[in-house]
Amino acid sequence: MTTTQQRSVAPRGARSRRQAARRGRGAGMLHVIVGLVLAAGAVGIQSLDLSGDDHGMPLTYTGGKGDNVDADRFSVRVENVSTAKTLKDGDETIATDQIFLVVEAAATVPAKPVHLGKPFLLTADGKKFAASDKAGNEKVLSYPWIQPGWWTKGRFVFEVPASVLPEAQAVFTLPVAALYSEPLPPEAQIDLGIDEAGAKQLSSAPAEVYDMDKKK
Amino acid sequence: MTEPSGGSTDRQKRPVVVPALALVALTAVGITALLGGLDERPDPAPPQLKPGQVLDQGQFDTKFVESKITLQRAESEFAKDKRFLDVIFTVTNKTDETLNVGGLRSDKSRGFGFGGTLLKMTPQIKSEFGGSVFVDSKGVQSSQLHPGIPATVVARYELTGTAQPPKQVSYDVGAYEELTSGLNDTTQWFLQTEQDAFGGENTDKVVAKISVPVQPQGA
Repeated sequence: MTTTQQRSVAPRGARSRRQAARRGRGAGMLHVIVGLVLAAGAVGIQSLDLSGDDHGMPLTYTGGKGDNVDADRFSVRVENVSTAKTLKDGDETIATDQIFLVVEAAATVPAKPVHLGKPFLLTADGKKFAASDKAGNEKVLSYPWIQPGWWTKGRFVFEVPASVLPEAQAVFTLPVAALYSEPLPPEAQIDLGIDEAGAKQLSSAPAEVYDMDKKK
Repeated sequence: MTEPSGGSTDRQKRPVVVPALALVALTAVGITALLGGLDERPDPAPPQLKPGQVLDQGQFDTKFVESKITLQRAESEFAKDKRFLDVIFTVTNKTDETLNVGGLRSDKSRGFGFGGTLLKMTPQIKSEFGGSVFVDSKGVQSSQLHPGIPATVVARYELTGTAQPPKQVSYDVGAYEELTSGLNDTTQWFLQTEQDAFGGENTDKVVAKISVPVQPQGA
């Protein structure tokens, strides 16, 4: 009895052991694969990590020409875009080797009055042209206080080569504090709506003079 | 057991050779140390540039054009005519954003922007307010170097009283390099420096020297 029992048990045991071994090998393979996938995933996710420079980037609110673009602490609207060969500031005429791109804009704030910073022009190939210092400080929109309740109108002037006009965007910011830099300052990035044809027109027929004292 | 005679000579040789070598090495090091130690090979002298040559300064490609005397007529009868020594560069901003042309170095300031790369001027031209540096286009002064656009930059030094301008001016010129901070992984441009081998102070690295003859007035 015992011998037959043992005999009948032994093959079953061997089979189950073989099955277990097969299962063990299968599970082992699975574990290796899962491990590799996890490791690859972990390495892959590292490539999505932002660099320190990216962490310092402002929060960008976008919009198009004519829209009221709300950047949380201020709103900007681009009203008109034109080009000029020279600027007239009082008795002075200011010339350029490039072209003056004049962006007429209006701004307001929801609550706390602010000054706008000098904007920059973001070109299609990612270059940033700061607003020209030739236009002075007093006759551009960064000079007046932007108050709640009404839109303050003004202009900014960029000095750029005609080749950067297509798909250019103006980026409006708050002024940078000298000592303490805010972690996520707001900025309003506004597409000036210049297509190829518009760029050709702006660059081929700039106004002779743009009067900086022009009331809007 | 008796050892073979060959084995004993082998064993005797080793204890002599190793200490002898050690002693020779130690003596060599000692003599070197006494004589002042090994010196670092000096860096090759910075290249001497001529007017018209272009220098890569990291942020800028700079061409040294010329130097001349500029006379600025008095604007009113109470003002006086002024004479300036102008050194003219063509500077192209190689970065993606507008940079400031900066300020020249003086006794009080280290300068910044493009002006900060003109490390040392010989002979120095002293005046009350020091020199200034600006971008000139069609007679309009600006401080902006827009990306990718060659700009005419003027370094202007006032010649006070009857001071005679030098026959030529020379500059030691530095360059910027972009460094990443290990602390917060941000990148920033810094003037290239070299450190003294014994942990001394960092000094600004002179990447080139340039001499520009001064064109006489009215030429």
